[in-house]
Amino acid sequence: MTLQVLPRGKWLGARVKRVEDPRFLTGEAKYLADIVLPGTVHVAFVRSPYGHARIKSIDTSAAKTMPGVLAVFTADDVTALPPLASGLPVEGLQPTPQPVLAKDKVRFVGEAIAAVVAESRYLAEDAAEQVVVDYEPLPAVVDAERAMHPDAPILHEELGTNIVYQKTTTLGDIEGAFAQADRVFRRRLHTNRFVAAPMETRGCLSVYERASGHLTFYSSTQMPHMLRLFLALFLGIPEHKVRVISPEVGGGFGQKMTIYPEEVVVAYLGKVLGRPVKWVEDRRENLAAATHAKEQIIELEAAVRNDGTILGLKARLIGDAGAYSFNTASALIEPLAGAGLMPGVYDIQHYQHEVIAVCTNKAPVGAFRAVGWTAAQTARELFFDEIARELGLDPAELRRRNVIPPERFPYTTCTGMVYDSGTYRESLERALELVGYEELRRRQAELRQQGRYLGVGISLYVEPTAWGSEIALQAGFPFPSHDNATVTIDPSGKVRVAVSVHSHGQGHETTLAQVAAEILGVSIEDVVVEHGDTDRAPWGMGTYASRSAVIGGGMVALAAQEVREKVLRAASRLLEVAPEDLDIQDGTVFVKGAPDRSLSMFQVAFAAYLDNRTRAEGEEPLLSATKFYDPRATYSNGCIVTVCEVDIETGLVQLDKVVAVEDCGTMLNPMIVEGQVMGAIAQGIGGALYEEMAYDESGQLMTDTFVNYLLPSATEVPPLTIEHLESPSPVTIGGIKGIGEGGLLATPASVAGAVLDALAPFDARIERLPLTPERIVEALRSSESR
Amino acid sequence: MATVPITLTVNGQAVRAEVEPRVTLADFLRDELGLTGTKLGCEHGVCGACTVLVDGAAVRSCLILAVQAEGADVLTIEGLAGDGLHPVQEAFWEHHGLQCGFCTPGMVLTAYALLQERPSPSEEEIREALAGNLCRCTGYQNIVVAVRAAAEKLAGAR
Repeated sequence: MTLQVLPRGKWLGARVKRVEDPRFLTGEAKYLADIVLPGTVHVAFVRSPYGHARIKSIDTSAAKTMPGVLAVFTADDVTALPPLASGLPVEGLQPTPQPVLAKDKVRFVGEAIAAVVAESRYLAEDAAEQVVVDYEPLPAVVDAERAMHPDAPILHEELGTNIVYQKTTTLGDIEGAFAQADRVFRRRLHTNRFVAAPMETRGCLSVYERASGHLTFYSSTQMPHMLRLFLALFLGIPEHKVRVISPEVGGGFGQKMTIYPEEVVVAYLGKVLGRPVKWVEDRRENLAAATHAKEQIIELEAAVRNDGTILGLKARLIGDAGAYSFNTASALIEPLAGAGLMPGVYDIQHYQHEVIAVCTNKAPVGAFRAVGWTAAQTARELFFDEIARELGLDPAELRRRNVIPPERFPYTTCTGMVYDSGTYRESLERALELVGYEELRRRQAELRQQGRYLGVGISLYVEPTAWGSEIALQAGFPFPSHDNATVTIDPSGKVRVAVSVHSHGQGHETTLAQVAAEILGVSIEDVVVEHGDTDRAPWGMGTYASRSAVIGGGMVALAAQEVREKVLRAASRLLEVAPEDLDIQDGTVFVKGAPDRSLSMFQVAFAAYLDNRTRAEGEEPLLSATKFYDPRATYSNGCIVTVCEVDIETGLVQLDKVVAVEDCGTMLNPMIVEGQVMGAIAQGIGGALYEEMAYDESGQLMTDTFVNYLLPSATEVPPLTIEHLESPSPVTIGGIKGIGEGGLLATPASVAGAVLDALAPFDARIERLPLTPERIVEALRSSESR
Repeated sequence: MATVPITLTVNGQAVRAEVEPRVTLADFLRDELGLTGTKLGCEHGVCGACTVLVDGAAVRSCLILAVQAEGADVLTIEGLAGDGLHPVQEAFWEHHGLQCGFCTPGMVLTAYALLQERPSPSEEEIREALAGNLCRCTGYQNIVVAVRAAAEKLAGAR
C-alpha cells in the first residue's frame, strides 16, 4: 500500500491547538437552534404519555384555532410518508415498521402522535396542549425476558411475538471444551439502559423552495449524506434537489446517526407548508424519544481449568430493543455487536452465542459509543473477576494467562475478527505499573483491617475501529461503505479540504488539516477543512464508530498526495528540473540541495491555473484531487484500571483515580486522543454508577429530566491518567487506528469491577447496573442473610 | 399575549424591549437580541449551558424570566472579551477544555465568575464551582486544568 507511513514533521503527531476553537469560545458558532431564517415557523410534537395504548381518536380542532397556529398534522395527514424500517440486511430480523407519526397505537412514552406548527415555539406548545387524544391504555411490558413469554403483551400484533431475532451460533468445539473443564462458572448481568445525552439535543429546519423544488434541510446529524438519501426517498424529492447541512453539532455519540421520524415529518412539513419549519428538541423529548442504548441481559458460562485458562465460553445476549427497530436504531445492534466482541482480547477458540432481540414498551435502542461492546465487555470482565476470586487467582493474573500474546498477531478470533496488531499484554502491565497495583493490594488488605473497603478494577479491551466495509463485516454487520475527500489548492496557494466525515467535537478541522499540511508542506493556517454540507463535501457516511481518524486521515492523505504530485509537476516545468528533485516546506517549493531555486506555493498555484506552460497536453489544470478510502479492519486496544473506596454503610462509591493506557496506533494529535479517552471514561463512570433510564411496570418513564437522570459532573469524575502506547496498524494508511469508543467500552467494567472488588469480603452479588448506593446496600444486606 | 416593558443592560449596552411576561431571560437574549452564544441544554436548570452573569453573579438564564432582569446588568459570552479572547477563553483553548463547544459559553462564564470571586481557587474549589455545568465530551479534567491556568494568567496580569 502507498502511504503506509505518513511523514511526521511539523504537524502530524503534534499537539496542535484546535483551529476551530475560537468560534466556540466566543459564542459565535451556530448550532441548529441558532440558525434564524425569515418566516420560520416552529413545531411542537404531541407525544404519548403511555407506554402502550390504542389511539381511539385524536381531536385537533381546538388546537387548530389557537393563536398563531398554522397546522396540526397527525398520521392521517402524512399518509404519503412510508414508515421507517430497519436498514440492517441481516437474515432473520423481523421488521417492525415505525410510522413517522403514531397510527392506531403507541408503543412507548414519548412516541410522536401529532405535530403542531405555529408562529413561535411558545404558541406551538400552547396549542399542543389542546390536542386531545383518547387513549385506551394497554398492558405494557418493560422487561425483555418477560416480553419473551408467550403470555406477554405483544407490541407488534402482526408478528405474534416480541422476539424479533433469535439465533444460536457455535464456533469451535464447545462441547469438547466444556468436557475438559475442571470448573464451570456462570454469571448473569443485566446492563443498564443509558443514553448519549449530547448537550445539544436533536433538531432540524426544513426549507423548501416551491419554484425550484429544492429542499435545504438543516439537521443536527452525524451523517449528512445518508440523511440526504433517506429524505429524497421518503419525500420523493429527487436527490440532486436535496441539500443537507449539518451545522455545528453539540455532541452526538451515536445518537445523531439515526434518521428519526421527527426529521422526516419536519422535512415534509416544510415542503407542504412552504415556509421554513423548525423543530428544536427539548431535553424531556430527548430523554424520552431519542434513541436509548446499551441494555442487554447477558448470561455467560465458562469452561475453566484450575490454572485459570478459559477453555470455552457460552453467551446468551438478549437485547432489549425498545419499541421499534428502524434504520441504524436496530434491535440487533446491541446483542449482535456484543456477541461478536465477547471473546475480546482473550484467546478463546471455543465459543457459542445466542443472540436474541426483543421488543419492549420503551424507547427504541440505537447507537451510542461502543454499541453492544460496552455491555459485552462489562459482563465478561466482571465474570472473569468472579472466576479469579473463585479460583483464588489475582484478576490480573487470570488476564495474563488468557490474553492473546504479542507473537500471535495478526490474530483471527473465533468470531472472524482479524486483530491486526496491538499491545494487549503490555497495556495491562503498564496500567498496573502506573496505578501501583502491588502496593494497592497491600493497602487494600491493611484498610480492610480498619473496616475500609478499597477496590481495584481492571478492564482490558480491544476496540474495533475504522468502520468501513471490512470491519463492519467482521463485526457482523454486512454494510459496505466508503468515504471521500477532496483536497484543492486554490490559485492563490491556499488549501481547501472537503470531507465526508463529520465533526461534532472530534476536532477534524485540526487533525485533518494537520494531515494535509504535512503532506503538502504548508502551514496549517493555510488549510481549511469543510464538512457537514452535502453541497460542499464529497459523498460519504459521516462520523461514527471511531472511523474518522482512520478514514478521514487516510482519504485526506491520499488526496493531498495526489495534489502534491500535481504541484511538483507544475513547479518542475517552471524551475526546469525533474519533479523528484523538488521538495516543499513551509509553503515553498524548492530544488533539493539548492534551496534558493524556489517558488512560493502562491507562484506555483497561480501558474498552474493560469499559465499553460505548466501543463502537458491532456493534463488537468485544477490542483485538486478526490480520493476514496475504505480501510482494512484495524483494532485499537488498551487497559483501564479504576481505584475506588466503598462506604459499606451508605453504599456510596468514592472514585480515587482512573488510569488508562491506550494504543490507537499512529496518533494524529495526542491532545485530541486524550480528549476522546477522557470524555469516554467520564461517560463510562456515568454508566457504571449513575445513569439509568428507568421505566415502571406500566411503561411510564421515570427519568425524563436531568434531575432524575444523573450525568456525572466535575465532582464525580476523579483525576484521570492517560498514557499512550503506539503500535501502528500494519493495514491502514499511516498506521492510524480509531480511538473514539474505547473509554466507554471499557470503563463501566473497570469501575464496576473496582466496586465489586471492594465488596469481595462480603460475597456481594450484583446482577444489575448502575451500582447505585441502594443496589450496593441491598447486595450487602442479602449477602449477610445468605 | 400582553407585553411588559423592560430596561436592562446587556454586555454594556442599554436595552429597552417589550416582552411577554412568560419569556425566559435565555429566550429573550437568544430570540430578541440575537445573542445565541447562550445555549439551552435542558431548560430546567441542571445543565448550566445557559449560564450568564446577572449583576456579576452566574445565573441560569433558563430559570429566570426576562422581566425579572429589569434594571440588571447582564453579561453573556458575546460580551466577555473585545476583539480577542479573554484569558479564561485562551486557557480553555490552550488546554483543550472543549470539544463540541455546546457547554463552553456556560463553562467559561461560570469559571469567570469563580475567578472574580476567588482569584486563586484550589482544584477542589474549581470542581465544586463547575459542578453545576454539565459537559458530555471532555470528562472535565482539561476544563479544570484550564481554569487553574486562567487563574495564573490573570494573577500574572495583575
